[in-house]
Amino acid sequence: MTSGPYNYSYIFKYIIIGDMGVGKSCLLHQFTDKKFMADCPHTIGVEFGTRIIEVAGQKIKLQIWDTAGQERFRAVTRSYYRGAAGALMVYDITRRSTYNHLSSWLTDTRNLTNPSTVIFLIGNKSDLDAQRDVTYEEAKQFADENGLMFVEASAKTGQNVEEAFLETAKKIYQSIQDGRLDLNAAESGVQHKPASPGRPLAAPPSSRDNCAC
Amino acid sequence: MEDVLDEIVSSEDLQKFERVFHEQLHQGNVSHKAQFEYAWCLVRSKYPTDIRKGILLLKELFNSHPEGKRDYLFYLAIGNARIKEYNKALHYVKSFLEIEPANQQVLALERQINKRMEKEGLIGMAVAGGAVLALGGLVGLGIALASKK
Ligand SMILES: Nc1nc2c(ncn2[C@@H]2O[C@H](COP(=O)(O)OP(=O)(O)O)[C@@H](O)[C@H]2O)c(=O)[nH]1
Ligand SMILES: [Mg+2]
Repeated sequence: MTSGPYNYSYIFKYIIIGDMGVGKSCLLHQFTDKKFMADCPHTIGVEFGTRIIEVAGQKIKLQIWDTAGQERFRAVTRSYYRGAAGALMVYDITRRSTYNHLSSWLTDTRNLTNPSTVIFLIGNKSDLDAQRDVTYEEAKQFADENGLMFVEASAKTGQNVEEAFLETAKKIYQSIQDGRLDLNAAESGVQHKPASPGRPLAAPPSSRDNCAC
Repeated sequence: MEDVLDEIVSSEDLQKFERVFHEQLHQGNVSHKAQFEYAWCLVRSKYPTDIRKGILLLKELFNSHPEGKRDYLFYLAIGNARIKEYNKALHYVKSFLEIEPANQQVLALERQINKRMEKEGLIGMAVAGGAVLALGGLVGLGIALASKK
């Protein structure tokens, strides 16, 4: 890259949360590898994935933490909420219990993240419409009432998976532009990577400016 | 941060889970959960002594609580990799993959460990070591052949 040591200008931290088995890890792999894993084993603790995307001409690196849904991991996975710029909250449209637990996931998210964190609700497994247990309208209303963005998606077919990750990034980027998200706050979940090495931030001009390091 | 091996636990978290563990220890009854949570934080510490302590706690759990084996194996691999005990780390990865050969999370960890070994020149050394052994083998064979005459 000619623009500096990084080939992206921002890092956004995401978390993926929700009950066990709703398809969090499959969503992550569909997004990072464009693959569906039919027999995905249970996640141990947290799984990490990255992908570079583009929003408004800016390259952004997404650092995604996929958390295990089981209770025995809950206490430690909570610490990953801190400093998340985006939270993807997932339920399974064929299992009502996973939808009923959303309010508890949402409470955790609100308590542990900051007000500028973008929360995106995903109703996963939309390919299994015949086994549907939660209507689109009902979930949409829940999302609207709580100020969440919302889509139904399928980690299996890939439907709406890109959209969910990208729309979250666009919303975060918008918050930066509007000044609602403070880049200097330690836990904003966003890091800015100044791309031009010739203009170090707030550093007096010196001979080191010409150094290619 | 590029992968899970770079991740460092916050000192607040480490202290929080340490407190719970020590309280239970004091009462003479440590739960698997408290020990695992503390060990999971320890192996993500930036201090090798913490990581080693986490490894000991995980080994103890591994031997006493079979239901949690896959979790313990995974974090034993992470802890060892973080103190550059790569061969031990790979040993735990292999044990895990014998049970779940297609586990993406563990295959990714294996790739990261190999990447680090390569970066630190350890793969090259292993290869060179292998070549020396092979050469030794040939010489041995030569001697064996020679003595047959
Ligand atoms: N039909 C269908 N199955 C899915 C979908 N997403 C995940 N699954 C399956 O649901 C199960 C649980 O998925 P997983 O990603 O491990 O869930 P997690 O516990 O939330 O990480 C696996 O057997 C997946 O193959 C989907 O969109 N459609
Ligand atoms: Mg998972």
